Amino acid sequence: MKSKIINMAEKIKDADDRLLEAMLRSEPIIDDGFSDQVIRRIRRRIWVRRLALPVAVVIGGVFAAKPAVQLLTVVSQLSVLIPREFVVMSTTWLPSFPSALLGAMLLAAIMLGLRMIEDE
Amino acid sequence: MSARTDNDLVARVVAANDTAAYGELIRRHQSQVRNFLRKLTRDPAQADDLAQDCFLHAWEKMSAYSARGSFIGWLLRIAYTTFLQSKRRSHRYAEVLQSAGQVADLESGSYTRDTEEVSDLERLLAVLTDEERAIFVMSYACGLSHREIGESMQMPVGTVKSVIFRGKDKIRTRFEIEDHQHG
Repeated sequence: MKSKIINMAEKIKDADDRLLEAMLRSEPIIDDGFSDQVIRRIRRRIWVRRLALPVAVVIGGVFAAKPAVQLLTVVSQLSVLIPREFVVMSTTWLPSFPSALLGAMLLAAIMLGLRMIEDE
Repeated sequence: MSARTDNDLVARVVAANDTAAYGELIRRHQSQVRNFLRKLTRDPAQADDLAQDCFLHAWEKMSAYSARGSFIGWLLRIAYTTFLQSKRRSHRYAEVLQSAGQVADLESGSYTRDTEEVSDLERLLAVLTDEERAIFVMSYACGLSHREIGESMQMPVGTVKSVIFRGKDKIRTRFEIEDHQHG
């Protein structure tokens, strides 16, 4: 009941209200490619975000490559301390570095592809 | 797609980042948002830039839309915030007002109730604060109810009414002064 009274009060317009309405009323603006432009910007933003992580990983990888190699060298020198039988056994079941890198890249590409398909 | 309600489309956007659904929402509301911003900025090009930013912000914040109020009210709230941020950043609005010489016109220009009436009233709107002007445009140009404006501006309905009353009083006073000065 109270809200009905409020709505009624709102609908009762005086001359000033009618004048303001008439003066401020404007024709609808034609879209004219506006919405497509916004959607294009949104899609571009989505792509930038999607690519940001892989690009950051690649850049980080480039910077980290040299210290990583040095670390691996040191670790490999330490491997003399590990019993020989254990080293021989581990080389049989651990993948080589190029294979692991290739696998990781393939996995990243598949995940990226799946996300693209999901979003389309 | 056009038969769906705004809330259906919002749900699709939130659930699946559906840009097609969002495109439909933009098509439905771009006119009101652009008109609202044009009334605030008085610069169609700047208003359209701000409208684009507004829709981008709305996309980012879509999950925060509660669906309790109207979608257009929520959008206009973002549009108003975008306008204020832009104004703070560049002070461009003040430059537009200065270059248009609107304040000077109010002091020296003549007021006639003919075809120039609309632009005269828009000049008179310059005497209102940003908040008052936004509420006036929401009410008289966009046709939002006081409740919708209250939700949009995050203020009680009573405050909306008093802002409108105060604004009308300011405009009326200005009209009366103009009429009195020019017979």
